[in-house]
Amino acid sequence: MQEIRMLLVDDEDDFRITLANRLKLRKIDVTDVGSGNEAIELVKQKSFDVAVIDVKMPGVDGIETLKQIKQLQPSMEIVMLTGHASIKSGMEAMKLGAYDYVMKPCDIDELLIKTGDAYQHRLLKEK
Amino acid sequence: MFGLKQFFKKLLKDDTQKVEQKTSVETIRNAFSNRYLNFKTLLSANHEVLELITDMEDAFSGSRTFGMSFIRANCTAISIHIYKIINCLNEISKNKYKELPKVLEGILPEIDRELQQKKLEAGQELVFPLERVDKTMADNVGAKMANLGEVKNNVGLPVSDGFVITAAAYECFMEYGDLRDEINRKIQFLEPANIARLHETSSEIQNLIITAPCPRELEDAIIKAYTDLMKKAGHDLHVSMRSSALGEDTMDASFAGQYRSVLNVSKEDLIFSYKEILASKYSVPAVSYRLNKGFRDADIIMCVGCMSMVNAGAGGVMYSADPGNIRHECIIINAVWGLGKSVVDGSMAPDLFVLSKEDPKIILKKEISVKRQQLVSGISEGICLADVSKGQANNPAITDEQTTLLGEVALRLEKHFGAPQDIEWAFKPDGSVSILQSRPLMVLGKELTAITDIPKSKVDLPVILTGGVTASPGVASGPAFVVATTVDMLRFPSGAVLVTKNPLPQWAALLNNAIGVITDKGGITGHLAAVAREFNVPALVGTSIATKHIHNGDIITVDATGGTVYAGRAESLLEKAVEKTSLMKGSPVHKTLGNVLKYIAPLNLTDPDASNFTPEGCRTIHDIIRFAHEISLRELFAFKKDASFPDHLARRLVIDVPMQWWIVDLGGGCKEGMKEGDAIRLEDITSDPMLTLWKGITAVPWQGPPPIDTKGFFSVMYGATMDKSLVPGMRSRYADRNYFMISKNFCHLSSRFGFHFSTVEAFWGDKVAENYICFNFSGGAADDVRRARRTELIKLILEKFDFWVKIKSDTLFARLERQKASFLKERLKVLGHLVMHTRQLDMVMSNSGRVNKHVEKILKDLSLFVTIPE
Repeated sequence: MQEIRMLLVDDEDDFRITLANRLKLRKIDVTDVGSGNEAIELVKQKSFDVAVIDVKMPGVDGIETLKQIKQLQPSMEIVMLTGHASIKSGMEAMKLGAYDYVMKPCDIDELLIKTGDAYQHRLLKEK
Repeated sequence: MFGLKQFFKKLLKDDTQKVEQKTSVETIRNAFSNRYLNFKTLLSANHEVLELITDMEDAFSGSRTFGMSFIRANCTAISIHIYKIINCLNEISKNKYKELPKVLEGILPEIDRELQQKKLEAGQELVFPLERVDKTMADNVGAKMANLGEVKNNVGLPVSDGFVITAAAYECFMEYGDLRDEINRKIQFLEPANIARLHETSSEIQNLIITAPCPRELEDAIIKAYTDLMKKAGHDLHVSMRSSALGEDTMDASFAGQYRSVLNVSKEDLIFSYKEILASKYSVPAVSYRLNKGFRDADIIMCVGCMSMVNAGAGGVMYSADPGNIRHECIIINAVWGLGKSVVDGSMAPDLFVLSKEDPKIILKKEISVKRQQLVSGISEGICLADVSKGQANNPAITDEQTTLLGEVALRLEKHFGAPQDIEWAFKPDGSVSILQSRPLMVLGKELTAITDIPKSKVDLPVILTGGVTASPGVASGPAFVVATTVDMLRFPSGAVLVTKNPLPQWAALLNNAIGVITDKGGITGHLAAVAREFNVPALVGTSIATKHIHNGDIITVDATGGTVYAGRAESLLEKAVEKTSLMKGSPVHKTLGNVLKYIAPLNLTDPDASNFTPEGCRTIHDIIRFAHEISLRELFAFKKDASFPDHLARRLVIDVPMQWWIVDLGGGCKEGMKEGDAIRLEDITSDPMLTLWKGITAVPWQGPPPIDTKGFFSVMYGATMDKSLVPGMRSRYADRNYFMISKNFCHLSSRFGFHFSTVEAFWGDKVAENYICFNFSGGAADDVRRARRTELIKLILEKFDFWVKIKSDTLFARLERQKASFLKERLKVLGHLVMHTRQLDMVMSNSGRVNKHVEKILKDLSLFVTIPE
């Protein structure tokens, strides 16, 4: 199967870099950035299958990033990542078209299953 | 082909031209894959929500410990899954249920509101002088300082001057550093049972608070209040700073020693000490205490009382009643030389005085300890240990006149507050008394008081020690574990007796795992003793020799009531022990869960044929998933009425079994090149999970229903007449049909035999992490007891085969995941057998003995075609 092109957005460097390295070992084509702005700029130039975005980030937060990315690349599937479970932000993200939501501390297998499902969903929608 | 065309017109009706061009084999396959993917996602989300609901109901009625983060995480997960379910349903049905998201969005904010923190109506002042504080101001200054202000200003007893850093100040501090979200995030990572993780998280959060900046206005207000205090005194002074938390006085809870007090603080250290006390809200014992008692973290607000430091000649704690026995009319005093802190933290053996409540002049009991050291204020700041002069060490720390004076104070305070009090006091070097704290004393309830009245039975075991003080009554037996350091704490095994030299308040974090406590030092008025009483953990303190004579792993019985420790298990005493009750019941967290469940768990849409079976009829989360599940099945099965599902996809399996088995191929489940209208035979099936399940279903021929006794028959009649909604699923129309939905690696079987409804679902593929089997079983026609026995029987068998099993009333959930396909295959065969052969067993479950008989029979049958695990 083709490698999933994933964009990982989280301001917490340690977490993001470790996760990105582990995902690379699992044959995911990961690009990781530390802010919503960087993510939005990148999405203007490059196409991704799935984005994993942390809800809480300084500056442009996860929800705003989700909104803008969905405008730029509507078929990109988005999985939100959150350290602080909240119905409100969950609702908001799902309404804005997020595919799923993963709670930290996240199990890498769970994240892979959810992003894998999101990827399949995207493939089918595209056809 | 008419049906197919219709289907695609429907699918892409907004762009008809495209349809004509794209009706290729590839498109057809994609459309079905899409449908299959949505259906699979919907089913697994449905299953997960049901499990989350069961988990929450289980937590609500059980005795396990959970915090707000458990409720928040479950509710969030549920809301995400429901969105997914609704999205999938709308993709399957081509947006027929557009109003469902609105129904959900009517319910979710209600749940969210229950989870929000209470809003405070506190005053705006950051700092408040103690002269203006009384008991009505607990919301501004915390319960402890409100009581102390009351003692000073309305009871008229001597209390040092001081001020309180208020709840508004706490809000201001937390807001300024934007600390709340970060703290909540760290708390979410916590697992209640993992004490090592608890230590890590606790230190991270405390560090976060201590290093956070103090807002300028708050710092200025604190320094000004301190300067005012100094001016009033007319000389330089130091202060004691004590936590006075708010939100903890909502129920019977002591919070004894959970938070930090800092004594003898200089001006330079005011702000740092303030932060240290705020941080102590997240100390290990405090976090674990809140978790175990069900306090909502965000509801606890730390106020800090600052009072000019009393340099005590002697100090201690007294109780205006016996906390272990309300009928025992006495006043209990513990006293030491120097500061009374060493009484509460249990680091020294104090003098004990018991006074008559009738006349405090009468001393009922006097036990003088050898007090070689004392805590005193350091010269520049802080406190230190100092030797007690030789002649003084054996003397009582307070005179008989002073005990009488204290006794009178205790009576006055109990009368004023209308309840027994726990009072901290000090005598200044000039001999005058000063009250440092007065709070309600936790007195044990009647059922526990009764333990103290147990007549001594004869125990035929070697006695390890006798003596000590009953800090919390009761009897417990288990292996001993000696705790001296924090590292020992991390290794503390659940169900052990905590044996330690000093009853330090930090050991309180172990009381949820400890079944008993034995200490060398300390007295009844210490913090650990208070928490032990609250947790109903028997505690014997001040035995002097416990750590010398008891070793790790020794099986011992502690009779805290009788003041004796035995080697071995004293069964005769244990019979009288009172069962530990849940500490969560009635707590704010428990109540929150109950409130939240009202929007989640009740199922109103029990009848799919009823007129309220509509999106508008959904009043709870459970209703929504019930509705979505039913409708998604209808959408898949409605191939006759709705052309959107081509006929050839659902056909009856041609088989020599007297039941109807229908097959829906979701893609790749049958041999390629099959023509429309072809009958499906077993040889045509390529779905590995379905073939495996089928092996289990047919391995042993079904003998027909087991012979039932007349009672069993009446029981069936009873069940059938009592509950019309026994069948939660597709009634009438789909009754007694079994549907397989299959693809190459996936199989979902919904089967219904009369009143029995079960689903089996299995998936295995290239990635072990994605593999799973899940199984739901419910219904039955016999009465509740028989049905419960049958459910129990299935549980016993499934657990033997490594399944995770949960039972909620008569519905059973079982699952296995992340296992190799070979492992899952064996177990899927077991499910196939159970689906066929346990359906009517409920009728014969007349007594529990039958359960074992049938388990044996089923295992014997299973051994014919699967390996039974040891």
